[in-house]
Amino acid sequence: MTSITYLEAIRAAQARALEEDSRVFIYGQDVGSFGGAFKATKNLAKEFPGRVMDSPISEDAMIGMAIGAAIEGMRPIIEMQFADFSTCGLNQIVNHAATLFYRTEVPCPLVVRLPCGGTSGGGPFHSQSLEAIYAHFPGLVVMTPGTVEDAYTMLLEAINIDDPVIFCEHKFLYYHLKAEALPTMALPSNKARVTRPGRDATVVTYSAMLHESLAAAAELAHDGYEIEVVDLRSVKPLDTDTILASVARTGRLLVVSEAFPWGGVTAEVIARVTAEGFGLLDAPPQRLNARDTPVPYHPALWGTHRPTASTIASALHRLLKL
Amino acid sequence: MPLITYRKALNEAFAEELSRDESVFLMGEEVAEYNGAYKVTEGLWERFGSKRVIDTPISEAAFLGLGVGAAMMGLRPVVELMFWSFAYVGFDQIINNAGCVRYMSGGLINVPMVIRGPANGGTSVGATHSHTPENLIANTPGLKVVCPATPYDAKGLMIASIRDNDTVCFMENTLLYGTTGEVPEGSYTIPLGVADCKREGTDISFITYGRAVLTALEAAVILQAEHGISAEVIDLRSIRPLDEEAILNSVAKTHRVVLIDENKPFCGISSQIAATIAEKAFDELDAPILRVTALDAPAIYSMPLEKLQLPTPERIVNKALTLF
Repeated sequence: MTSITYLEAIRAAQARALEEDSRVFIYGQDVGSFGGAFKATKNLAKEFPGRVMDSPISEDAMIGMAIGAAIEGMRPIIEMQFADFSTCGLNQIVNHAATLFYRTEVPCPLVVRLPCGGTSGGGPFHSQSLEAIYAHFPGLVVMTPGTVEDAYTMLLEAINIDDPVIFCEHKFLYYHLKAEALPTMALPSNKARVTRPGRDATVVTYSAMLHESLAAAAELAHDGYEIEVVDLRSVKPLDTDTILASVARTGRLLVVSEAFPWGGVTAEVIARVTAEGFGLLDAPPQRLNARDTPVPYHPALWGTHRPTASTIASALHRLLKL
Repeated sequence: MPLITYRKALNEAFAEELSRDESVFLMGEEVAEYNGAYKVTEGLWERFGSKRVIDTPISEAAFLGLGVGAAMMGLRPVVELMFWSFAYVGFDQIINNAGCVRYMSGGLINVPMVIRGPANGGTSVGATHSHTPENLIANTPGLKVVCPATPYDAKGLMIASIRDNDTVCFMENTLLYGTTGEVPEGSYTIPLGVADCKREGTDISFITYGRAVLTALEAAVILQAEHGISAEVIDLRSIRPLDEEAILNSVAKTHRVVLIDENKPFCGISSQIAATIAEKAFDELDAPILRVTALDAPAIYSMPLEKLQLPTPERIVNKALTLF
């Protein structure tokens, strides 16, 4: 049986979009003949001549050019080599792409692909998860797929919608996550998914932390606890209804993310639940994030910097006793 | 005590520190000969000269990078951004360099820099000039964030920020520059990370900072006069470090809380505070934690609409009343 990785699904979605829509093109550093820093555009330059273009090393210029192309009716996909580097183009994304439709009623159908999250030895500039920073800005959609199937269908949806989309891909999942085949059905990107049903506590999470959370839930099942795991899939728009429905079933909430804690997506989820679903909670809602320091370079330190199945399981045991 | 403006209070802080410590210097677009876009550095170039008060080219990435380098070599740059909204052009320098150097050098190299300027909506300058990035900076470990509401706090916090050994992002407000208050002459500091109770109350806590403190105080007066509700107003003053103890103590006293800020709501300052209260003071709460923030849209250019986009006393009062 053949299998497809998360990375190959992202490549396949881009190939399909290039095939089906002549307005789509890809622009990024080394995305052409080199096939991208992580090979997410492997061979696409050959298959689609003139539509997969190498950019100079200027994130600011790349995004600005793409906004201009989007204004003129194209559908650019921008690849950042690392999410961290997008901070060099932040002004173009948050001041121009995010506000363009609001200011002018001209849509800005742009996808910025951000390889996010940590890998061992990546260090502070190559490991960040910046979804909270982008989600803060009205006008941006922020997708954070955690499965091969979602990586494929959500990227296709991202390319199709008229708003600028920040598409957060997880670097650890690129090679480690596999599915048997590409999906034929898609759940809309703005819907969260109850990946594992349960009744004792809810874990709300997304991206690579989905898999750590599922492993923790499986561990707690040995002790007789049924943990519900909700995959947000997109952090903005945030599917508050699915979160509240889950908390209504379980009464206990743990929110898990690999990003920094301060004002993170975990904080937003809890702020919403305590405002709109306060009466549903049987215990204080808890968060588990990366530790509140720059991402360490040393592999042993990195291993303890982000949540893991084991720290999530411990947090759940604590929550169940509160 | 002399009654001076918020602008003058900052100006005095710079003059004090430029006189006291020769490693301190100011730089930014038009801060020297033109006295600053909002005249916060008025007279300082004339008094301290071109080596201490320096005009930069229009490149935030370049002069923020220059600031990081100067700070690493032992100077204490105070860098003005004409608007904090322009910080996004140099954001990489702030979060990846200023924020990480101490950590990456194993604590051997500090970056004692102040990045300052106005960060506010409410002046009809549109979506690209009205950002409030305090949450984005606070999200980044390694950086400090200060948002003073009064002239007294502005001066004491600025002097403390210049003397701090980490990068402090100091967010001012063009609508506060002309406000006045009593400010001592000479030098004094207010420690970072210490909130200030601007009004004592017993029935509900308003947790806030920056100009929203003034709005919250107006709302507190209305609540007392028209509804007999006693609201406590906690001015955070510093966003990071955050005075969690002051927040949790106030919630333990009143058992009801509304978080008020001019930041956009999604992953904003109030989300962090709501999550902190929910996690650490859940049993103290008699009602849901509610937020009054800027409405979640790009800053509105139309002046009458923008006034409604930011928290108003009426919006705070109405939100507070739902908790009783």
